[in-house]
Amino acid sequence: MSDVNFEGRVQRALRAPVPTSAAARDAIMQRVREAARDEPPTRALPFHIGRAGRHSLIGVALAAGIGSITALSSLAPALRDVPLRATSSIVLGDTVVDRLRDTLRLVRLIFDEPAARRVAVVGDFNGWRSSATPMVRDARTGQWIVTLALHDGEHRYAIVVNGGRSGGALSGVGRVRAYPVLHVARDAY
Amino acid sequence: MTDRDIILQVLAGDAEAFALLVDRHYDRCARVAFRILGNREDAEEAIQDAFLRAYRALGSYENREHFSAWLTRILINQCRSVLSKVRRSEALFIELEPGLMGGFAAQEADDGSWPDLERALARLPADQREAIVLRFADDLTYEQMARVTGAGESALKMRVQRAFARLRALLPEVSRV
Repeated sequence: MSDVNFEGRVQRALRAPVPTSAAARDAIMQRVREAARDEPPTRALPFHIGRAGRHSLIGVALAAGIGSITALSSLAPALRDVPLRATSSIVLGDTVVDRLRDTLRLVRLIFDEPAARRVAVVGDFNGWRSSATPMVRDARTGQWIVTLALHDGEHRYAIVVNGGRSGGALSGVGRVRAYPVLHVARDAY
Repeated sequence: MTDRDIILQVLAGDAEAFALLVDRHYDRCARVAFRILGNREDAEEAIQDAFLRAYRALGSYENREHFSAWLTRILINQCRSVLSKVRRSEALFIELEPGLMGGFAAQEADDGSWPDLERALARLPADQREAIVLRFADDLTYEQMARVTGAGESALKMRVQRAFARLRALLPEVSRV
């Protein structure tokens, strides 16, 4: 097949439609409606800085002020994503975790390998970063323990032994043990 | 009704009008996201997040570019985000002993069959895959692609050329037809 024919065939294949579902579109609008209830989008303040050197110091100060407001506004949706309905807080190690009404469950993982020097759990819930969730060795039993606050659902995870380093990549001396899906639900524990 | 008209309607408080934009642009987004990410589940997630981000940021959309290009830029960022998560996960599992793999992340069996285009796309470097998909699945010009990706036009042309060369090597059966 000539280069032209080959490239033409690839181009046609790339342009071909892919199967889509109405449910996926509905899911978008469902989230849009939720967002509309929380914070409908509004037109940004009309703000244009003139040519460099032509605005006054007051203009610069005003620009900085509006810039700050804009920056804070852009953070607002992220802040609003956090449900503001914590009923109490618990302390895990040196971390305070808000216990939310039926949205997070505490799952205790125990890994039995007393000879390990360093153990961590990685998974969907921490971006697979081996530095994110170290396990703590119980001095009495030698078991490695961590308590996770997880949403209901399925979570893939693995245990990193002696080999984790920050960024999620692994050194050559470590080992990883991967496990199937961890199911988290009200009735599971 | 133009995209701009719909956006004004949404900004006036009619959130349901956003469905018109979803209908109008979903198929195009699906082509791009599916061919960049290689599976429907990740693609649908990226598209959903992209539309939601677009909705939330609609107030700052200033009509300096086509809504489609603006949306594509958001979508590409979402796809890159998904890919970086997937890469971290794959980087982790690539060093696993097969016996410890459990019931997921199993390696693809080598059955000797020739890969189809979707599988070949998945084996391209991410920047080449992104370039060839934007060029042909989304029919963008190189100038538009440069605005979407932040890369230079000449670099993008090179990526598309390299993507074709790589696909040709990966699809020898098709090449011989």
